[in-house]
Amino acid sequence: MKLFLRALLVVIFASTVAASTLAFAGDPEFHAVVHAIESQYGVRHAHIPMLGFALFFVRPEGVSGMKLAVFEDFHSHASPDNVSRVVENSLGPGWYSFVRIRSRDDDGDGETTLIYANPSGGKLRMMIVNVESQEATVVELKLSDHAIKRWLKDPKDNAEEKGEDQSGHRRRHADD
Amino acid sequence: MREKMPKKMLLLFLLLASPILRAQDTKIPPDVEKLSARAKETVEVTMDGPMLRWASKFLSSEDPEEQKAAKVVANLKGIYVRSFEFDKDGAYSASEVETLRSQFRSPGWSRVVGVRSQQDGDNVDIFFRLENDKMAGIVIIAAEPRELTFVNIVGSLEVDQLADLGGEFGIPKLDQKSLSKAHKGDQR
Repeated sequence: MKLFLRALLVVIFASTVAASTLAFAGDPEFHAVVHAIESQYGVRHAHIPMLGFALFFVRPEGVSGMKLAVFEDFHSHASPDNVSRVVENSLGPGWYSFVRIRSRDDDGDGETTLIYANPSGGKLRMMIVNVESQEATVVELKLSDHAIKRWLKDPKDNAEEKGEDQSGHRRRHADD
Repeated sequence: MREKMPKKMLLLFLLLASPILRAQDTKIPPDVEKLSARAKETVEVTMDGPMLRWASKFLSSEDPEEQKAAKVVANLKGIYVRSFEFDKDGAYSASEVETLRSQFRSPGWSRVVGVRSQQDGDNVDIFFRLENDKMAGIVIIAAEPRELTFVNIVGSLEVDQLADLGGEFGIPKLDQKSLSKAHKGDQR
């Protein structure tokens, strides 16, 4: 019985680690963008325990695959053009700039959301980079047909919604 | 001396034609980009080349509405949208918008819709670019006291199809009746 329990624990641990690794690895473009931000701005993405496991079960509506990296110590006052240059240089061919949102609040702090799309066959992948004065997020999404149609119909509102989601996610994570 | 004349004439032609060429080729005029510095929020949507071709194929389904949109998109070269939101009235001046509009009053362009609302300050202008009597592009300038949207649709399409595109790809919804009426008036 003890042996069975030990084996079960090993299996659970292994699947958790594997899922966590899958959240970050296995996608060269996502990996390249994250590393480009790390090396350009001297930051490291935060390790979120069980992230891959969580993303496997909890995904936004219309998303069939998702990867996420969060930078909480992002103190660089990078200009939107600088960020987009860094991201575009690390994305390979087949990625196209789709939506860019720049906003500033009353304190003069800015937020930039860059969305790149990679259409291929009947699939659409999106790389969403959200940068605030002290935080940054990189998300890669694989969209379902329904979600693609929603994005094509209203890219502006969907992008704004996604930017707010990412800010909210970071805030929730910071509160934990 | 005689050989130099054609060159001079060519240069003169290019100089005179350059604003027209610029208005036709520039996706987003520099005057529009400048507004970004004053805006509280700037949204840029770009759909061209492979993205448009892909969208056209993707939308080709059994849904009649999607088929309609796919047909329109198939003939387009690009859709470029800039939308600015300002935190107070008067963040941009009427003369700035007028300067922007004036770029599309050059030969090759035709203003087909101009709506001015004294009540809420909403102004919409639609300009068509014609090439060999066929529509080759559309520019929409929608100005509100705290919002300005500039849309440039490059490629051939019909007036009725423009109404189909309204509400898709970040393009504002357009009134088909006023478009058709304006176009008929323009053809006369």
